[in-house]
Amino acid sequence: MAICTGCSLLCEDIELTVKDGDISHVRNLCRKGHGHYQALLTERARPMIDGKEVALDQAIAKAAEVLHSSKAPLLCGWSNATLEAQTAGMSIAKKLGASICDTSPPCLGALMERIISGRIPTCTLDDVRNFADVSVFWGSDPSNSHPRHLSRFSYYPRGEKRQKSYEEERTCIAVDVRKSATATLCSNYYFRMQPGGDGEFIESILATLDGRIPKFGDKKRMIELGTILRKAEYGVIFPGIGMLYSLQNRLELFETLLAKLNEIATFKVVPMVERFNSRGFYQLLHAPGNSLAAAAKGCDAALVVGSDPLAELPLATARALARVPLIVIDPHRSLTVDAASVVIPSAISGMEAGGTALRTDGVKISFEPIIESDLPSDEQILAKILEAI
Amino acid sequence: METAVTIVTFRDIFQDEAAKKSKFTDEFRDLCARILLDKQDMASLGLKDGQKVRVQSEVGSVIVIAKTSDDDPHPGLAFMTFSPWSNQLAGEDACMSGARIAAKLSPSDESVTQISELLQRMRAQGIST
Repeated sequence: MAICTGCSLLCEDIELTVKDGDISHVRNLCRKGHGHYQALLTERARPMIDGKEVALDQAIAKAAEVLHSSKAPLLCGWSNATLEAQTAGMSIAKKLGASICDTSPPCLGALMERIISGRIPTCTLDDVRNFADVSVFWGSDPSNSHPRHLSRFSYYPRGEKRQKSYEEERTCIAVDVRKSATATLCSNYYFRMQPGGDGEFIESILATLDGRIPKFGDKKRMIELGTILRKAEYGVIFPGIGMLYSLQNRLELFETLLAKLNEIATFKVVPMVERFNSRGFYQLLHAPGNSLAAAAKGCDAALVVGSDPLAELPLATARALARVPLIVIDPHRSLTVDAASVVIPSAISGMEAGGTALRTDGVKISFEPIIESDLPSDEQILAKILEAI
Repeated sequence: METAVTIVTFRDIFQDEAAKKSKFTDEFRDLCARILLDKQDMASLGLKDGQKVRVQSEVGSVIVIAKTSDDDPHPGLAFMTFSPWSNQLAGEDACMSGARIAAKLSPSDESVTQISELLQRMRAQGIST
C-alpha cells in the first residue's frame, strides 16, 4: 500500500506494483491521483542557474549564496512539502531572519486559525465516516477538488454508526453559486445562492432555527434546510474557499451559526485545504495574517518550495515575485521554475521520498518512498542550504 | 458588442489532472482558457460555442474560448476554472477558486492567450540575477 500525495486526503490505500524500479500497475487512484502518479515521468525539473544546466550541488550552493546575500529574503510555498521539509524551512527562516509564508489564500488562514485554536469545533474524517448523518458542502466541490472525499468519508461509506450509509442514513447538502458535480450528486438538497450571498444565507438559516421566517432566499426551501439541520444527529460542514472568500471579515457569523447548531445537535467543521500538507504548515507556523502579497512586494529574493506561485497567485503578486531572483525547489517544471534564477530538482514526496504530513483534518500520515530516486528530498536540500548559509 | 459579467472561479478535476502532468500542454491550456456563459449572454454577444472572447478585468485581459454553461440560467454570471488564465484577471485579494472577478466580454478574432504569454506578462517588470 502506498500513500497518494495528490491532494490533502492523503489516501492510504493505493495498491501498486513496482517492476524494475518503475510503477507498472496502480489501483484505487482517483483521476487527480492518476495525474499525480503519471507526473513521475513528465516534465521533471533539471538543476539550473540562470537558464544553464549545472550539477545539483552547484545549484544548491548558488541558492545558499543568493539567500545569504539577500537583505529581505522570503521563503514561500510549503503546501506540497512534508512536515520535515517545513520544519527545515522554518530553521532557515530563523537563521536568515526571513519571512516565511505559504501560498494559500488569507481567508483560508482565518478559518484554520479558528479551527486550530478550538474556536470552531472540528473532528476527523474518520469521525465523519463513522458518525456523520448530515454533510454540508458549502462553497466546496469535493468531487472535483478532493475526488475520494465522498466515497471514503462523507457520503457513500458504511461507518460504525452509519451502516445504512447514503441509502438511508446520510444526507448530503450542497450550497453553491453553481451546480457543481457535488451539487448534482446532492440533487434535491442543492441550494443555489448568488455570489457573495453567504452571509445572508447564514442569517436565513439562523432565522429558521429560531422559528422565524427567513428574509433571504426561497422561504420554503430555507425552512426545509433548517429542518434537516435541526434533525441531524452529527452534522459536518465542509466550507470551501468560495464560502470563506464571500464571508471575508464576517467569519464570526459562521461561528454564530455553529454555536446555534451545537445547541440543537452535534455539528463540526472540517476544512477543505487543497495541497497535501497545507494543514501541516498552518499547524507548524500558526501565524495567521501572514500576507504573501505584502511579503512578495517587500522581498529582494525568494525561495519557493513545493508550490507554483506564478501559476496560482493573482497577477500583481506573481509580478512582485517575478521581479526578484527566485530559487525554486520542485520535482517538476512549472511557471515559477521557468522564471527562476536557480532551479533545484527534488524527489517527489510520497513516491521517491518519505516523510510525514497532516491530512486536511489534522491527522498525521507517514509515508515511505515507493521507488528509488537519485534526487534528494526537499528536506535534504533544505538541510544543505541551512548548513551553507 | 460588450457584456459585463461577474466571473466566479472553480476547480475542475480534468484540469487538475492535466496540471499535475504538465502545465505546458495544449490539453491544460484548453481546459483553462475557457469561460462558461449563460445562454442569454452568449446570444447577446453573438457567440456560438467554441468562439473566442476577450475577457477584460481591471487587472488584465485574456482571450479564451466561450462555451454555453449547462447549469440553470445565470445571466450576468460566468464561470472559469481557477488557473493562470483566471489569475491574470484576479485582483490581489482573490482567493483561489471561488474568487469573484468583475469583467467585460467582447467577441475576439485574436488567438487564445498562450501560457508563454502569461509568463511573459508576469516577468515584464522582472529582473534576473
